[in-house]
Amino acid sequence: MSEEKVVISSCPHDCGGRCVLKVHVRDGVITRIDTDDGEEPQLRACVRGRAYRQRVYAPDRLKYPMKRTGERGEGKFERITWDEALDTVDSELKRVKEAYGPTAIFYLPYSGNTGTFLHSQLAVFRLLTMFGGFTPHWGSASFWGSLFSSQVTYGTITTGHTRDDLLNSRLIIMWGWNPAETVLITGTSFYLTQAKEKGIKIVSVDPRFTDSAAAFASQWIPIRPGTDTAMLIAMAYVIIKENLQDQKFIDRYTVGFNRFGEYVLGEEDGVPKTPVWAEKITGVPAETIETLAREYTTLKPAALMCTGAPGRTAFGEQFHRALSTLAAMTGNMGMHGGEPAGFGFQPVGLQALSGTGLISGLITGNLPEGTAQKKGVHITKVWDAILRGKAGGYPDDFKLAYITNGNALNQFPNSNKGAEALRKLEFIVVHEQFLTPTARFADILLPVNTHLERNDIIRPWFSGPWYIYMNKAIESLYESKSDLEICIELAKRLGIEGYSDKSEDEWLRAFWKSAEETSSTKPLLDYETLKKKGVHKITLTEPVIPFREQIENPEKHPFPTPSGKIEIYSERLASMNNTKLPPIPKYLEPWEGRSDPLTKKYPLQLITTHFKRRIHSQFDNILLLKELEPQEVWISSTDALKRGIRHGDMVRIFNDRGEVVIPARVTERIMPGVVSIYQGAWFNPDKNGVDRGGCANVLTKDDHSPAGAFCSNNALAQVEKA
Amino acid sequence: MQMGFYFDQSRCTGCYTCCVACKDWNDIPAGPAHWRRVTSREWGTYPEVYLTYLSLSCSHCENPACAAACPVSAIAKRKENGIVVVDREACLGGDICGMPCKQACPYSVPQFGSEENPKMQVCHFCLDRLKENKKPACVDSCPVRALEAGPLDELKEKYGDGKEAEGFIYSLKTRPSVIVKPRYEKA
Repeated sequence: MSEEKVVISSCPHDCGGRCVLKVHVRDGVITRIDTDDGEEPQLRACVRGRAYRQRVYAPDRLKYPMKRTGERGEGKFERITWDEALDTVDSELKRVKEAYGPTAIFYLPYSGNTGTFLHSQLAVFRLLTMFGGFTPHWGSASFWGSLFSSQVTYGTITTGHTRDDLLNSRLIIMWGWNPAETVLITGTSFYLTQAKEKGIKIVSVDPRFTDSAAAFASQWIPIRPGTDTAMLIAMAYVIIKENLQDQKFIDRYTVGFNRFGEYVLGEEDGVPKTPVWAEKITGVPAETIETLAREYTTLKPAALMCTGAPGRTAFGEQFHRALSTLAAMTGNMGMHGGEPAGFGFQPVGLQALSGTGLISGLITGNLPEGTAQKKGVHITKVWDAILRGKAGGYPDDFKLAYITNGNALNQFPNSNKGAEALRKLEFIVVHEQFLTPTARFADILLPVNTHLERNDIIRPWFSGPWYIYMNKAIESLYESKSDLEICIELAKRLGIEGYSDKSEDEWLRAFWKSAEETSSTKPLLDYETLKKKGVHKITLTEPVIPFREQIENPEKHPFPTPSGKIEIYSERLASMNNTKLPPIPKYLEPWEGRSDPLTKKYPLQLITTHFKRRIHSQFDNILLLKELEPQEVWISSTDALKRGIRHGDMVRIFNDRGEVVIPARVTERIMPGVVSIYQGAWFNPDKNGVDRGGCANVLTKDDHSPAGAFCSNNALAQVEKA
Repeated sequence: MQMGFYFDQSRCTGCYTCCVACKDWNDIPAGPAHWRRVTSREWGTYPEVYLTYLSLSCSHCENPACAAACPVSAIAKRKENGIVVVDREACLGGDICGMPCKQACPYSVPQFGSEENPKMQVCHFCLDRLKENKKPACVDSCPVRALEAGPLDELKEKYGDGKEAEGFIYSLKTRPSVIVKPRYEKA
């Protein structure tokens, strides 16, 4: 028996963390996964990372190329050779391009691999671009409201403090923020633990009493989904009425505060946005709003922490705009312990890589940007676009779907409509590791290796003070290949010259060289040393904070907005002349909210949350994780009692878009009137079309906010005993 | 010398990383055998709600009831470190003996897999890691450092001698080698 070696890697998933995996390998087989036990701050892996061996060797890994033998979605396939599979994809791509033009090819990737330098959806972007073009999608299931708002208000998405700075706050408000489950930067939970033990006040505003609220917060403020903006604006009302704002900061660094004040005080529309006004909308008592508003100004520096969740609503960008406005009007930035409440990228380490089209203009160092991404379809409209095509106002009549790095049917809204759309296409090719609900619709299914079977480089999700070389631990299992290897083979068949003139190692070296140009921290470790060392932690003498130069010397360092200031009022938004996208942050009544007439039929507000044992839909099939907790719908004891539902009963959760049947978790931990399903469980419709898997997107609406935010926390539904 | 665990319930977020790190390190498949378990308790009435998690493995008791209950003396407490270990060769198997060890343990710690006549299995404090001066996999995995391990005397010196946490009852009979800190102070 040969000696065991330990290989340093990380995870490339859409989890928000970038942790250290120490992969123990003996005779080419992974025997164990350990994590960082080195210098502080340690980058300890979460439960999902620790289960990675089970994912690599899962019995349901796709082992060889397959072609469909049954109906789409039925999951019947037979093994074929790589040659047959690639020849089929080659001829279908050529056929569709010749018969209908290249934009009839719809590329549907997502975040299965994210933040990596080399192995990602960009391999296919490059292939299809060089082939002559395709139609992409745009938007994000995660953070679009925040991305949009941050660019409007601050002119940048680099607005985050390093997490160690939480220890310098006097008040931390976790607004829809649950890092105990979502990680959102490795180590965040441990900083919150330390903050709590230091005596820093932590408050959770959330429809659910989350694990984070229980572990870190001393106060839970339950709030109705989709109404967060109303509470923030009422907090602004209290601050203005009591003259608690930081007027010096406002005068020096912001534009449009007076216009916002006119709206808040009711001078614009005759409705003063008082705490009493907000109480009726949000369900939060007026006194609670008043107290939190005062604390936010007196317990300074205060950190208003959020992620995308409250912004994944009908007018999600308004939430993020209001959040940043509150931070700006109280001057809670530019110093340790503050937080601009923008997108949250940190000005340290490797920055985002540009040109993915997902965040265009931000990403460098990856495979060259495609040239054919001019006309895209929003991710919430992908199914509608396939079903209605040009007649529905979409760029083309789509004939072929190329799907990689994602499980669109499960993770984009309205899964039943998605299944109908996927049945309509002439050809579907999917690159996958498992037979996901989306993969079941493939005509040709190509097996992809895992990141432990290839080399790559990765940075923290929101950037941050470390980066990791993901060393290949084992050879590719079975007949699996990387997306890049698959595309190299296809490029040969498609007659694409110059698709890849480099080996994996040469690509990574080239990207590493170009990363130096955009990195906030220089010099980068040299390639060889990084590969050998695996993880490189950047030593900080103090926490890194954004906008330091802008605050210290605003004349010399204006904010990167048109006005050079923080834009509470945005001229750019004003010029769009869209009442649903106003120039100052406003509370706009969401569709499928509490006052929608549809509540007569579907009285419960559905939110769809992350789940600690999955990363979106990834890991749902891993038994070691699946046994930890069941897929359930959270329902308050009040709502359950009315319906005769007891804890553990099977219940139907339904609306006009579909029906899900899963067990009920009757709990005091959720606001009455709200139900919650963990998103990501695999869509598993029975013969009557009822989903037995618990896929939350069976119920979500395929629509987006005016700025393009995903609306996965914005649906009405009814629950009944099954 | 007695080795023991410290569990800080005020820190635990219920993420289960300790359970899965344990299963991976000790090569335990998905199924009924869990050397470390995380359980939760929720009480109160909306919106005054309380939630705790409890992460517990074998507590390597001073007086292990499991050892006393085993008909073939397959369970022993090691003199040098007080770690309770099972001799799986000697163990008769749960179907044959009826698992008296599990019944005797106030925490139902002895574990059995799903195979036929499963031999008992239980946390051995990651003896292999201990040899390398490492803490058990669960302890080194915890993202919020809610778990600690080491000589019980040293742990007591550092963390006190807490015996109360939600969901945990200190057994005066077996005297578990675990110190706990509750999330909520008792009213």
